[in-house]
Amino acid sequence: MMDSIQKEMSRDRRAFIKKVLSGSIAGSLLLVIPAGAMDLAGIPEQLPGMRDETGAFISKKRKFTFIVDITLCIGCGSCCVADKNEYQVPDGMYRTWVERYVIDDEDDVYVDCPNGGLDGYQKPRTDIPHPVRDTFFVPKLCNMCEHPSCVQVCPVGATFQTEDGFVLIDAEHCVACGYCVQACPYSVRFINPQTKTADKCSWCYHRVRKGLLPACVNVCPTGARKFGDLNDKESEVYKILHQPHVVSVLKPGMGNKPSLHYVGLRREVV
Amino acid sequence: MQQEYRSKYYSHVVRIILILIAVVGVGVAVRAMVLPKTFGEFGHYRGQAIQEEMNRPIRNGTNNSCLACHPHIRQMHLEGIHKTVSCEFCHGPFADHVKDGRVIAKLPKKKGEEIKYLCMRCHNQIIRARSKEAIKMISMPQHLEQKHVRIDHNCNQCHNVHAPLMWINEAKAIVGAGEDSK
Repeated sequence: MMDSIQKEMSRDRRAFIKKVLSGSIAGSLLLVIPAGAMDLAGIPEQLPGMRDETGAFISKKRKFTFIVDITLCIGCGSCCVADKNEYQVPDGMYRTWVERYVIDDEDDVYVDCPNGGLDGYQKPRTDIPHPVRDTFFVPKLCNMCEHPSCVQVCPVGATFQTEDGFVLIDAEHCVACGYCVQACPYSVRFINPQTKTADKCSWCYHRVRKGLLPACVNVCPTGARKFGDLNDKESEVYKILHQPHVVSVLKPGMGNKPSLHYVGLRREVV
Repeated sequence: MQQEYRSKYYSHVVRIILILIAVVGVGVAVRAMVLPKTFGEFGHYRGQAIQEEMNRPIRNGTNNSCLACHPHIRQMHLEGIHKTVSCEFCHGPFADHVKDGRVIAKLPKKKGEEIKYLCMRCHNQIIRARSKEAIKMISMPQHLEQKHVRIDHNCNQCHNVHAPLMWINEAKAIVGAGEDSK
C-alpha cells in the first residue's frame, strides 16, 4: 500500500518537473527569438525565398540589380523621405537624392537639387532666361560598381565588395580618411558627422537579406525605382535589361561597370 | 688561399638570424593584436561587418505592415488610385509607431496646409517634369476655379486622401454623370 503511494508521489514529481522544464524552455525560446524577427512576422516577403537564406552571402543563384526609370520619376521625393527615415541620415547628407534637369530653348542645361529633393519640388525654376523646352528628374544612389574604385583606395579595408555584389562599409573599422569619398565617380559617399565614418547607400542590404525591397523602391509610387533578381527570367529587371529599351549607366567611360542602370537616360545626365 | 677568407667565428650570423626571428615574431604578434578578429575571413575586410550590416534595424515597414492593423483604411487605400502611395511617406516610419508588436507612439496626423503641401509634391502641373502616363497633374488655383469652389479650399475637402476619387465618384453616382463637365 505504502509502496504504491510512494510510487504515485514520485511519478507526480517527475511529471511536475517535466512540465516545469518544458514550460521554462518554451518561455526562454520566446525570449531568445530576436526582436527583429518579431517585427518581420507581420510583413510578407517581397523578395521570395530570401528569409530562408542563412549563408554569409546571398546565394549565387540570385543576382540583384537596381534600375531607375527616369521617364516615370515625378520628383515627389518619397524615396528621399524613406531613406532618411530608414537610416536617420543627418540633415544635409544624402544617401539618395533626386536631381532636377531643366533644358531651355537654347539647349542650355540647368541642374538643381534643393535639399536633395527631400522636400519635393513645389516651385518651377524662375532664373532661366529662355523658354523651357524640357524638364525631368534623375534619382541618384550608389551605383554598386562591379569594379568599385572606393574599395580599391580604402587603406584599412573598411569598405569592401561582398561576393553577392554589394559594396558595403564597415563602420567600426573605417577611419574616415575620406579617400573613398574622393574616389567615387558618382559622389554618393560622404563622411557621416554622427558616426564619424564614411557612409553611403547600401541598396538597403539589411532589408534585402530579410526579404524586403530597399526602402526607396518600396515607397516609389510610380515604380520608377525597380529592384530585382537578374537571374529570374520572369522579373521586371530581367525583362528591361534583356529586351529593347533605352538603357544606360552613368559615366560608362570610368570603367567602374556600375550595376545601377537607368531607363531613358539622357545625354545631358551622362 | 681560399681557406683564409673563411671565418671561424659564426656568432654574428647567429645574432642576425636571432634578430630576424625576433622581428618576424614581434611582427606576427602585433598583426594578430591589431587586426580585427574576422579580418580576412572572406577577403580584405572584416567578415563580421556583413553580419553587422544585416542586423541594422528595419525602420520602414511596408504598406502591408501598416494596413494589417488598420482594416478600414486598408479597404479605402487599396481600392483607390493611391494604392501605390506609401503610408509612411505621409505618416512617418513604422518603427516610430510600433516596436516588438506594441504601439509605442502615435504618428503625427497631417492637417490643413500640410496636406496640401503633400498633395502638391506630386500633382503640381507647373513643375512640367511629370509624365501624363505616371500621374494626373493639376494647376493651382485654376483647379479650384474650374470646379467652382472657394480658393481657400483644402484638397482633402473634396478628395479623400487615401482614395482621391472615392467621394467624387459617390457624388457623381448621386447627382448623375455629366457633373464633371461643368
